[in-house]
Amino acid sequence: MTSLQTTAASNPGTAAAASGSEPRIRVKGLGKHYGSLEVFRNIDFNVGEREIVAIVGPSGCGKTTLLRCIDGLIPFDSGEVLVGNQRVTEPIAGVAMVFQHFGLFPWKTVSENVAYGLRMAGAPKAEIERRVPEFIKLVGLAGFEQAYPYQMSGGMQQRCGLARALAVGPNVLLMDEPFAAVDAQTREILQFELLRIWEERPTAMIFVTHSIEEAVLLGHRVIVLKGRPSGIHEIIDIDLPHPRTRDTLRKPRFAELRERVWSTLMREAREAEFVLER
Amino acid sequence: MPGPGFRAPAFGRPRNDGLCQRGLPHLLTTYLRRHTPFWISILAGIAIWEIAGRSTSAAFMVPFSETVRQLWLFMWSREFIEQFLDSAELFLTGFVLALVVGAPLGLLFARVRALRVGVEPYIMILYATPMVALIPFILSMMGFGFAPKVLVVFLFAVFPVLYNTVEGARSIKPELIEVAKSYRSSEWALWREVMLPYTLPFIMTGVRQSIGRALVGMIAAEFFLSATGLGQLIMGASQNFDTAGVFASIFLIGLIGVGLMRLGLKIEQHFARWRQ
Repeated sequence: MTSLQTTAASNPGTAAAASGSEPRIRVKGLGKHYGSLEVFRNIDFNVGEREIVAIVGPSGCGKTTLLRCIDGLIPFDSGEVLVGNQRVTEPIAGVAMVFQHFGLFPWKTVSENVAYGLRMAGAPKAEIERRVPEFIKLVGLAGFEQAYPYQMSGGMQQRCGLARALAVGPNVLLMDEPFAAVDAQTREILQFELLRIWEERPTAMIFVTHSIEEAVLLGHRVIVLKGRPSGIHEIIDIDLPHPRTRDTLRKPRFAELRERVWSTLMREAREAEFVLER
Repeated sequence: MPGPGFRAPAFGRPRNDGLCQRGLPHLLTTYLRRHTPFWISILAGIAIWEIAGRSTSAAFMVPFSETVRQLWLFMWSREFIEQFLDSAELFLTGFVLALVVGAPLGLLFARVRALRVGVEPYIMILYATPMVALIPFILSMMGFGFAPKVLVVFLFAVFPVLYNTVEGARSIKPELIEVAKSYRSSEWALWREVMLPYTLPFIMTGVRQSIGRALVGMIAAEFFLSATGLGQLIMGASQNFDTAGVFASIFLIGLIGVGLMRLGLKIEQHFARWRQ
């Protein structure tokens, strides 16, 4: 287990180098406890300026906790997170998060929800009035400006959540299983929508998911979290060309990479079961 | 994505059940079907009151018709209007104070756990204490002025607001607080944009409960502290065996209470229209 971890940890940043710029996010030796429970330890990876890093792992492995630490929402116990040159100790400007259960304010309309981030950032009124419709249109919600969340499907709600995050013009997007709470068809549509939007406005992105397919489809690299406490088990380069479309799903290389991540995770899952049986 | 036949502009005006499109006769039958039991019950109540009132001595009870007639006479009596306004002033002062103190304090308790845990036992004790029992104590501390009476109304009314606000604000989904934090909300913006809008329907539930209690507090204060307002009127009428005056005053207080609670319900529904 230790040997695997060291080999895995030795290759962070290769794809970031390929994307040709300084890393936007640097996670160094991150560790987190909840009381006596150690969630993860020694998490090291970088994310390039225009790179999507997907994080997969079995449920309960601390993916979401890790993402919240990177956002500065919850404190960590060791290591550090740098976004640009800024050390993260609390949520910082230029980083936006998309939440698993959408995190929309149910008493606000689509427009008001999308405006929220801008208002919190202290944007002038004119700018808010200009940007809100622009981003509502970008995510395909034009015509629904005055709708309340309860009047929309899960997929539409998450489009709204995405628009709210994008509206603040972030250079880092943190996605916390954003499509886990929508149905399978909508999920697929949203994945390609996200890819389309990312091609238009590339940012650094960390995409947490428990879907292997989603991780391989979206990520330039896929990080597999493993163990108790969890650590980075493997970082797999996804050398599928961009822009990725529905055709990507049919490529033999896609199937190969998906199998590779799958077998890595299954090995993990069996070990987890073994631990439970003991 | 929007379907082809979707009328997006309908959003923002939720839950109009379309009665207005079907014409007046339909509207009338729908109203009758819904409210028939209500009106039957009201008419039966009035009938029983009328019969009971007519078959007992006027010293004990007056019939409905006599109560309404007395109420009508009151409307034109200067003394009654003055006493009524006196009570209204007491009620509103105590009640608004309860709202202005109860709701923000409730939000604060929900936000600061240590404070809530520290203060909760005292609140529970005070909430459970029959407030009437405190009146002699308040009398000896503060005398007969306006302030001690306001305090009585306040003490009757504040706890439902406080309690419902705390419980409501504590039920905010943690994810929404996280969203606010993630978007770098200030503490004030968190209260204004998240905690208050979420909690408003709960506050209004407390307000509705408080209305009834504040009316009790009002009469109790007027009975046991300096006699003024409707409380004085009821006591005076009672001592003069003016049963119609007693009934009319009590009936009026009941009507006001019901009216205010209905108003509170409407406001609550207005603030809760996003809840599904």
